[in-house]
Amino acid sequence: MRLVRYSNPNVRSLAPAFGFSSRSPWTGLEDQIDQLFDSALSGLVGSSRTQFPVDLYEDKENTYVRAELPGISRDDVSVELVEGYLTITAARKEKAGDGEESVSFSRSISIPEDVHSDKVAAAYQDGVLTVTLPKREEAKPRKIAIEVK
Amino acid sequence: MSLFNSLIPSSGRAVTGSGNGHSPDIGPSVKPAYEVKETDDAFGLTVYLPGVSKDGLDITAESDQLRIAGRRAWKQPEGWTALYRESPAVPFELVLSHDNAIQLEKIHAELRDGVLRLSLPKSETIKPRKIAVA
Repeated sequence: MRLVRYSNPNVRSLAPAFGFSSRSPWTGLEDQIDQLFDSALSGLVGSSRTQFPVDLYEDKENTYVRAELPGISRDDVSVELVEGYLTITAARKEKAGDGEESVSFSRSISIPEDVHSDKVAAAYQDGVLTVTLPKREEAKPRKIAIEVK
Repeated sequence: MSLFNSLIPSSGRAVTGSGNGHSPDIGPSVKPAYEVKETDDAFGLTVYLPGVSKDGLDITAESDQLRIAGRRAWKQPEGWTALYRESPAVPFELVLSHDNAIQLEKIHAELRDGVLRLSLPKSETIKPRKIAVA
């Protein structure tokens, strides 16, 4: 009996040690470990510089999204809520020698609860953007733009 | 369990036990993203410390190493449930060693919006010097 979740054979499971016909019993575990490393190393590895970490919290009244975006200007942040997806777009500008270096970030997060889209608020402090999304009973798809304080 | 030890590389791990002899032990910590730039007169260090305020920041300069420790100012309020987390809830710690080529008393630090910018002026001894022949 296998305790690992089934997943399609990948390149590693076709490694010569196991032969081409049999699947590595560690496939599921490998995937899980990969995910673990991806999440633990995101934001630290140079190639994923444009990906920023996001935390999701809730209490009785609100859902909160906290995004780690150090060094961005408030004018360069835009927060949009479209049909259950919250999209955060930001840019960081730095003086690099004579010119200016700009790094842009963008991320969409699925919001689990239906929210009062006209009462969404955002605040930026110490390099962390906090978006407060008040909960509501019924869902109404609409697009809104949110001002960042 | 020996399989796990071989699967998980010891170098380049994000969360370290911090038991490697750094002066004040702050427990588990995460290494922040940082950049080092060099000019003729100084080294410029940029460290990204989201969520760290001036009060939680601790910079220690010694003759051979520079240690930056940043505690997150924000604490999860009572009643908040984490649905999904990507940021580690541990302090930041960055230790950089140098060969005493920095004027420690002239280090300038500035923290704004979670970005720490340090200017580390080079010591006179390593700056190029012209020697006149008598």
